[in-house]
Amino acid sequence: MPVHLTRRTIMTLIGAGAVSLATPLAAQDDALRLAFIPQENPEKLLGDIEAITGWLASEIGVPVEGFVTIDHAAAVEALRNGDADISFMGALPFVLAEAEIGAVPLLSEVYRDAPSYTGRIFVRRDSGIRALADLRGRDIAFADPISESGYLYPLAEFVEAGLVEGPGEAEAFFGRIFFAGGYQQAMQAMAEGLVDAAGASQYADLLLTPQQQAEVAWIAESAPIPSHLVIARPGLDAALRDRFVDAMLRLNEPEHRNKLGFLYGPDGYVRADGAAYDGVRDMAKQYGLLR
Amino acid sequence: MIQKFLGAFIVALASALVLSGPVAATPAKEAPWLPEAAAYRLTLFLGNLEPLPWDDVGTAWAEPYRGSEFSVGALAWLDGNSDIGPAPLLDAITREDRQAVFAEATRLIARRIDEELDRAVMADDPARAQQAVRTARELYRSFADGIAAADPDASRRIGLAWLELNSSTGSAGVLGAGATPASRKTMEAAREVISLYLAENYLVDDFAPRRTLSALPETVVLSGRTIEVPPSLPPGFDIFDQDPLPRLVLNFEEQGIDETDLPLVAYGDMLFDSAQIFGNPAQGLGVACSTCHNRSDVNQRLFIPGASHQPGAIDVDGAFFNPIFNDRRDDPIDIPSLRGLRFTGPYGRDGRFASLRDFTRNVIVNEFGGDEPTPFMMDALVAYMLEFDFLPNSMLTTDGRLTDTAQAAARRGEEIFNRPFAGLGDRSCASCHVPDANFLDRQAHDIGSVAPGYEGARAGALDTPTLLGTAYTAPYFHDGSLPTLAAVVDWFDETKSLGLTEDDRADLTAYLETVGAADEPYEAFDTENTAFRLAFAELTTFASTIDTLLPRRDAEHILLLTDTVAADLSADASTMSNLPARPEVYALAERLAAVGAAVRVEDWEAAEASWTAFKSEADAIEERAF
Repeated sequence: MPVHLTRRTIMTLIGAGAVSLATPLAAQDDALRLAFIPQENPEKLLGDIEAITGWLASEIGVPVEGFVTIDHAAAVEALRNGDADISFMGALPFVLAEAEIGAVPLLSEVYRDAPSYTGRIFVRRDSGIRALADLRGRDIAFADPISESGYLYPLAEFVEAGLVEGPGEAEAFFGRIFFAGGYQQAMQAMAEGLVDAAGASQYADLLLTPQQQAEVAWIAESAPIPSHLVIARPGLDAALRDRFVDAMLRLNEPEHRNKLGFLYGPDGYVRADGAAYDGVRDMAKQYGLLR
Repeated sequence: MIQKFLGAFIVALASALVLSGPVAATPAKEAPWLPEAAAYRLTLFLGNLEPLPWDDVGTAWAEPYRGSEFSVGALAWLDGNSDIGPAPLLDAITREDRQAVFAEATRLIARRIDEELDRAVMADDPARAQQAVRTARELYRSFADGIAAADPDASRRIGLAWLELNSSTGSAGVLGAGATPASRKTMEAAREVISLYLAENYLVDDFAPRRTLSALPETVVLSGRTIEVPPSLPPGFDIFDQDPLPRLVLNFEEQGIDETDLPLVAYGDMLFDSAQIFGNPAQGLGVACSTCHNRSDVNQRLFIPGASHQPGAIDVDGAFFNPIFNDRRDDPIDIPSLRGLRFTGPYGRDGRFASLRDFTRNVIVNEFGGDEPTPFMMDALVAYMLEFDFLPNSMLTTDGRLTDTAQAAARRGEEIFNRPFAGLGDRSCASCHVPDANFLDRQAHDIGSVAPGYEGARAGALDTPTLLGTAYTAPYFHDGSLPTLAAVVDWFDETKSLGLTEDDRADLTAYLETVGAADEPYEAFDTENTAFRLAFAELTTFASTIDTLLPRRDAEHILLLTDTVAADLSADASTMSNLPARPEVYALAERLAAVGAAVRVEDWEAAEASWTAFKSEADAIEERAF
C-alpha cells in the first residue's frame, strides 16, 4: 500500500519547507527519514516535524527528513518499502510490523514516570452501572479496532470476567459496539449518553470538559500496556541507528525537554525493551492478528 | 495509544465545548477549529455586535483566526480543499448585508459537510473514509450547540449517526492483519440522517430573518420557540490564566493573618473569582473579576475577538457583555493592574470614579450585566481588594528611592527621572509619578496620548498610573499602544522634546525597569506544590465563610458561595496531577453542593451536617490535593 495523500494533507505541504508528505528520498545511509503519524492537525504536525528534524540533524550529523503518513498502517508500509527508516508507532502496530517486516524497537515513550499505561472502561456516574456485568445488552464505544488501549485491552477485561467468550464473541454480550474513531469520540459518546460505556486509555477522561470529567468514572482497568515507541526498519545502518537513539535520549535532559512537545508530548524516552511487548504479542495472537 | 491522549489533548474538547452544561470559572481549552468552521463561528459572533465590524468579518474569512494552527485562512483553505466557491458569501460581505452573510455562510458550511460525507462514502479505503468523516464532524461542530440546545432528539440521532458512520468505514488493519471491510449500506444510511437534517435546517433557500445570529436550526427558528443557546466565545478567544502565574500579595497574609479568620475578606475573595455575580453571557462563560485581574494583576493574554484589539485589552462597554451599556465606541483599553489598589484611586483609566465601591458596582451591574449586588457583597469585595499590595522590590525603599542593590544605569536614570524638563512645563517625571507616593499623584493629566473623540474635545486626561510592578504589565498606556518601557521613554522624549541622548534613554529605561521590578513576581510550583493545590487552598478558604453565614441563616450568600465554589472545585480537579485523588475532590465538591441543596429547602440541620462533613473531608484530602 503506498503512502496515502489526501487533499487536506497535500495542502499542508504548501509552505511547509523541508518536511513533506511527498515521496521520500531513496534509501541511503547518510540520511534519516522519519515517518510521523498524524494525531491532530497535520499542518501543525508539519511545523513540529520541521523543528524536531532540524534539531536531530544537527545532533546526528546527517540530514533528517520527516514526513506524515495517513496512519500507522501506512507508516509500516513506508518502513517495509524503505521509504522510511524510522517511525513513531503504537504498540499493537509495532508487534504486527515486527512479525511481518522485522521492525526493530528503539525507544519507548514515558508518561508519568512509566513506559506503560492502562486501558479502562468508563461509564457515566449517574448511569447506575457499577460492574462490567451491568453492561450486558448495553452499548459501548471503543476507539478503533487496531488500538491496544482503545479496544483490545479493555475488551480483554470482559473476557477475563467471563462475560465475553473470547475475541469475536463480544457482540453476543453487548447491545451495540461502535468504533468511534478515537479516544475522544468514544468518551464523548459515552459522556453525552449516546452509549453506555467507553473503552479507552486510562487518561482518556482528561479529554472531556472539566464538567464532564466530574460526571464519569471507570469500572475496570486493564493490565499495564507498554507505551508507544519509536521503531526502525530492519537493515538500517546500526551506527546511524545508535546515533539517532542517543540523540533522542538527550531529549530527557532539562535543556532539551521543551522539544518533546514536537513529538506527541511524552515526558521522555527510554530504550525500548522488546520483551516488554510480549503481552501485546499475546493479545494480538488471541485476537487473530498475529500467528 | 497514549500519544493520542496527550498529543490530541486540546482536540479532545472539540465537540465537548459546544455541548457543555453549567460553566464554572475554570474555562476549558478549545480544540482547534477547521478554518471555514472558525470563520463561520466568528461571523456569527461578530454579526451580533453593534456597530457590526464588517472589516473583521472579512478578515475572519481571509486570514487564520488568532492562534490557529492552520497557516491559511478559510478562503485559501477552501480553495485547496473544496469545490465549493465562496463568491456569494464574499459578495454579501461586500454589500454588508448581514442576513445574506448569515445565509451564505450557513449554506457554505452545510455544503462542506455534505462534500466531506460524499468523500467518505466514496473513499476506496478505510483510512481516507475515516479522515473524511472526521473532517465532516469537525465542520458539524459549527452547528452542534444550536442543535443540542434546540432539538435534543435530533442532536442524539445525529450523534449516533456519526458513530455509525465511523464504525462502518471498516479498518485497513496493519499489513492486512485485522482488516475489516466497510459497510457501504450502513454508511449511506448514517450519512442520510445527517444530510437530511442539514437540508431541512441549514441548506434552505430562504432563512427567516435573524435578530440574533446563531447556529439554531431553521425549523426551530420558524416554530417561534424561544431557545437559549449557551453563550460561547468565538475561535481565537483566550480567557485562561497567566503562565507563569503572578504572585498575589495580600497585606494580611504577609502579616501572618489567616484568611479564614477574615470572613468578609474571604467572601470578597470568593466573589472576585465568581462568575455568578455577573449576568449572561459573562456568567455562562465563567468570566469573573479574576478573568481580567487574576492574582490582582493584569491578565496579559486575555483576548476576545470583537472586544479586544490586542491581548490584555478589552472594551467593557461594547455590545457583547451588556448591550444596554454599549457605548457604540470601539475603545478597548489595556487592562490595569489592581496591585496596591487602596493607593491608586481614583478609579478607571480617566479616574471617573472616586470611590472603589462605585467603580466595582459599575463593573458588576453595567459592564457585565449582573444583578444589583447586596451591600454585604459590595463590602466583601471592597474589603478583599483593599488587601492587594504591591510586589516587594528590594531595589526600592518604601519612600521610592533606589537601594544599593540597584544598578548604576538605574541610578543615573533616577537623576533624569527627577530632572525638570522644559517640555514637561518645568516639571519632572517624578512630579506626577511621585516616588514617595507609590509613583503616582492621584490626578488626571492630559499628556496627549488620547486622540480627541471630536473637535475641541477636552477628554484626554488620564489618571496617573503607578510605576510599581510595571516590569510585568506590558504593554503600556491606556490603549496598550507602547510595547515596552523603553518605548514609553522614547514616546516622552519625542513628544515632549526632552532632548535625551541615547544613553539617557537607556538609563531612564533602566530606572523604570528597576522601579517596576519585583523580588518574586511569580508563583513557584513544583511536583506537589501545584496550581491545583493553590486553587484547593483558595476554594476551601472561600468555603470557610460558611462558618459565619450558616449561624446567620444567610441563605442568599451561602447559595452564591456554594454555587460558585462547588462548581469550581469540581472543574479545577481536572487540572490535578495526582489523578487518583480526583474522585475524592469530586466527592468533596458534592458535599459542598449538598450544603447548598439543604439551604435551598431551608433544611438547616442537614446543611450543618454537610458543612461539618465538608470540613472534615477537606482536612483529610488536603495532603493529596495536588
